[in-house]
Amino acid sequence: MRDAVCNSRCKFNDHVFRLGLLGGLILVSLLVLTACPSSTPTESRQIMRIALETAPQRLDPRYAVDVASQRVIQLVYNGLVRLDAQAQIVPDVAQSWEMPDPTTYVFHLRQDVTWHNGERLTAADVHYTFTSLLDERTESPKRASFDKIQSIEVIDEHTIRFVLSEPFAPFLTNMTQGLIPQPRAGEAARDLDAHPMGTGPFKFDRIEPDVAVHLLAYDAYFEGRAILDGVVLRILPDAMVRLFELQKGNIDLIQNALPPDLLTQLRSDKQFAVIQAPGTNFTYLGINCQDEILKHVEVRQALAHAIDRQAVIRHVLSGLGTLADGILPAGHWAYEANVPHYAYDPERAAQLLDQAGFPDPDGDGPQPRFQLTYKTSENEEGRRIAEVLQEQLRQVSIVVTIRSFEWGTFFGDIRAGNFQLYALTWVGVTEPDIFHYVLHSQSVPPAGANRGHYFNAQLDALLDAGRRSTSPETRRASYSQAQVLIATELPYVPLWHRTNVAVLRSTFRGYELTPSGDFRVIRTVRPYTSAKAS
Amino acid sequence: MHRRRLAPSGYLGCVLLACLCVSACFAPWLTPYDPRAQDLAAGLHAPAWAHPCGQDKLGRDLCARLFYGARISLLVGVMSVAVTLTLGVAIGALAGYQSGILDEFLMRLTDMFLAFPGILLALALMAILGPSLTNVVIALCIVGWVGYARLTRGLVLVAREMEYVTAARATGATAPYILIRHILPNIAGPLVVQATFSLAGMIVAEAGLSFLGLGVQPPTPSWGSMLNEGRLFLLLAPHLAMIPGVAIMLAVLGCNLLGDGLRDWLDPRGEIVA
Amino acid sequence: MQTVVLRRLVFILPVVWGVSTFVFLIIHLIPGDPIDLMLGETAAQVDRQTLRRQLGLDQPLWRQYATFLQRLVHGDLGQSLHSDRPVHTLIAERLPATATLALAALCVSVGLAIPLGVLAALRPRSWLDTGSMIVALLGVSMPNFWLGPLLILVFSLQFGWLPVAGRGDGSLPYLILPAVTLGTGMMAVLTRMTRATMMETLREDYIRTAVAKGLTMWVVVVKHALRNALIPLVTLIGLQVGALLAGAVITETIFAWPGLGELTVRAIQQRDYPVVQGCVLVIALTYVIMNMMTDLLYAVVDPRIRFEA
Repeated sequence: MRDAVCNSRCKFNDHVFRLGLLGGLILVSLLVLTACPSSTPTESRQIMRIALETAPQRLDPRYAVDVASQRVIQLVYNGLVRLDAQAQIVPDVAQSWEMPDPTTYVFHLRQDVTWHNGERLTAADVHYTFTSLLDERTESPKRASFDKIQSIEVIDEHTIRFVLSEPFAPFLTNMTQGLIPQPRAGEAARDLDAHPMGTGPFKFDRIEPDVAVHLLAYDAYFEGRAILDGVVLRILPDAMVRLFELQKGNIDLIQNALPPDLLTQLRSDKQFAVIQAPGTNFTYLGINCQDEILKHVEVRQALAHAIDRQAVIRHVLSGLGTLADGILPAGHWAYEANVPHYAYDPERAAQLLDQAGFPDPDGDGPQPRFQLTYKTSENEEGRRIAEVLQEQLRQVSIVVTIRSFEWGTFFGDIRAGNFQLYALTWVGVTEPDIFHYVLHSQSVPPAGANRGHYFNAQLDALLDAGRRSTSPETRRASYSQAQVLIATELPYVPLWHRTNVAVLRSTFRGYELTPSGDFRVIRTVRPYTSAKAS
Repeated sequence: MHRRRLAPSGYLGCVLLACLCVSACFAPWLTPYDPRAQDLAAGLHAPAWAHPCGQDKLGRDLCARLFYGARISLLVGVMSVAVTLTLGVAIGALAGYQSGILDEFLMRLTDMFLAFPGILLALALMAILGPSLTNVVIALCIVGWVGYARLTRGLVLVAREMEYVTAARATGATAPYILIRHILPNIAGPLVVQATFSLAGMIVAEAGLSFLGLGVQPPTPSWGSMLNEGRLFLLLAPHLAMIPGVAIMLAVLGCNLLGDGLRDWLDPRGEIVA
Repeated sequence: MQTVVLRRLVFILPVVWGVSTFVFLIIHLIPGDPIDLMLGETAAQVDRQTLRRQLGLDQPLWRQYATFLQRLVHGDLGQSLHSDRPVHTLIAERLPATATLALAALCVSVGLAIPLGVLAALRPRSWLDTGSMIVALLGVSMPNFWLGPLLILVFSLQFGWLPVAGRGDGSLPYLILPAVTLGTGMMAVLTRMTRATMMETLREDYIRTAVAKGLTMWVVVVKHALRNALIPLVTLIGLQVGALLAGAVITETIFAWPGLGELTVRAIQQRDYPVVQGCVLVIALTYVIMNMMTDLLYAVVDPRIRFEA
């Protein structure tokens, strides 16, 4: 019947159709086959799943500079010392140390520290770590932090001596650097990015590139085995996906990676515990101190008075921040409370602007005193803050134009000094030497981060003194004066310190949120089942 | 040509597009609020009498931002379509009429552009050019001209063999004259249809660029950036994402329906493959 | 026929070269230093110079281009600036994920387009027609980055039927939401084409003969009309591959799907030149090959084109 009505073209199409159908069936079955679920092993182990915003770039502590990498390093490696919750230096692998003279440090290592392959850690490993860091051929980006080291000497199996070229107070803080094993005789140097091996509470199991990092508890950890059996760090770049996975039950811990507004909802949810703690992150308004308008101190002070930081914290950050006076948070040992403060005072701002020679041309009319460009990245929250600040500055007749760039371009512009205003955050402020990095005349990029090109010889002298002396009291004095000077001069406007927030599933307890968000605390996290659980 | 009625779906498309135009043109009269006026304490408030669409995170009225956002969508859409149309038709007509080496070269050029993933090209271009409305249009144009080039070439190839062209050539008319005076008017139909479809595409593309943070600058409202903002608050304040999302959907639907209707009207047998 | 094939094959090379050169230029034009983005600000000038030298970034642009071409000819796509892994390894890791997603999206798209197109063609210009087209258009009217989270909200959180994101163990449930998000975008074009060709085929004499001879409409539609509609559909699918790969970029980001698109976007943001160059090349090559196959199929099927000079 069909042949009678079909012409030759129809026949041809017929064949193609059959072929196509066959092909389609093959493709679909391939699809289903490849999508076959692999057998899931019965998980009787207690694994905690943590969400990371970005993928760790490097797992070798000599190269790890991004936050995600550092989090993994904190779990897998130890340093000679570490920082406690108050940012004080406490022993880690080194159980004690002394300074026979201002440029010499002698560390005494613990005897019970072992690498993940079971071998003991000795001073030779420490020697290897730092010599390879200083070796130009290793091309480690951290090399500059250690260039004051003149010599490293192994005294015996558990003692090592460092001699510096000059007194350098931040040296001890830098000794939190993760230690790596020395290659044994006859072995090539390990590829620590692919097979990280340290002394930390968790050892490397496997990595799915850009998807997840799997770690298992190391039984012979010198401070005691972690209670958990393992940790999975899942890389979830999208904030909503992190939230969804948390709610779905696939993630147990998210630290600092959720939009603040969502936390209100999570707080009332019994499945989760929302933990807050003051943070050491410092958000600031960067100013180009060489700019024609912004080089006047009164203008910078006016900016500080014109913005209502409390309003931003309360409404945009959902209260998760504290007003900042300067880089160092209150509670830091070098913090100076007696500095000029800048309360929200638009009238005072207007006065200062008039004084500086920028009067309002038409009183309350639309004409501005001057115009400023505010650069920001494409980050949602950054843009929102920019919009609020723009509106606040408009109230004192300063017109702000917001230009939001893709991150790479934005960062390039900032480093090149190609900006008037921007806002960024310093993460993990612990050592007051950061002032040197940020405000010293010699710290203009690329040597440092003095992006605003602020030059003040008096400040330089104070900061140099601060890093040279090794007694905490003299350091404190130098930095006190420095902070007063900075708060008067305002090379940047301090905004706030973000509160650290961690959301933890209630089936886990014992997570102490530190100001730096250090993941080392995961060692003491334990699973918890309520009495009612079946 | 036998005059047919526009299908009901076409009329629906017209109505939707008309709403878009009205919102864009008469925005200041449709809403008493300034789209930039912030009210921090009233962030994320749900729709209420005073604010029929609710308020965004900074307390700005969503309806106002919606209407002013329509301007951006329409502006970007119309300008992008206009430029890509001109550029694409010019190149395609040239390729289709001249044939030979020029044709091959231009077609390989379009192949090259097509092979490059559009969104990546737009991303790269925005990163190079920097953020601004003009640059959004430029980026979209560089990505979008290819469709028209191909279409025009196909149409011109067919039209070239038509009797009226041979007749014109016989009377000694030059190629540009023939193209502009004779061929273009006859192929205008499918081009217009394609234009309505690509208007829809441009509106979504602008939203996509804003999603990646590369669209218009804050605080200018654009549907895409509103959608991007609203995404984070999907669970807290769904109206933030729903409303611009629905707006985009209706605008795009309108363009497509109109395009389909026009196509059915001009070419009911589907002879001209677009 | 042979000449057509040969000509197309020959022209693949210049197109590939053109795309490679184009992407090389573009990516190097974007402001922002990859070294800066890799290291942040923790390295002094000295270290940056060494790193720059090691990565070949201190060479003048034309020499970098020459090296790039030289490597390309030997099939070497270089190393990632960030992770130091060979680009072809990165691509090989991610290509299956994108391919699976694209294929699944295609299945969704075709699976929805054909019934909708057939329905629309059966009663042209009726409310059934309009209704089907509106449903088909809904997919393209909802941007991926809106539809995705919406689907997650409804099907993953509200009903709990499907996983939220990621590829998981590669099983089917993880594939569904991303495939639907990506596939609905293509639905409109395919439905339109199905509708148009179905309408054309249904008008043919032999169909009317079949109906007159008493075959039911259903048999007529499936056994005869649909077959003829499939050829143009397949060629259209070939042309849509580019759009599919482009749409995959956003979908992969939303669903944390470890595919090629997401890798490329991240590489652009990090200015990881070799990775961007490699990925774009692979995507472009895929497109060109698919295009060529589509053209060939078209030529085989349509006798008019076959004999074109």
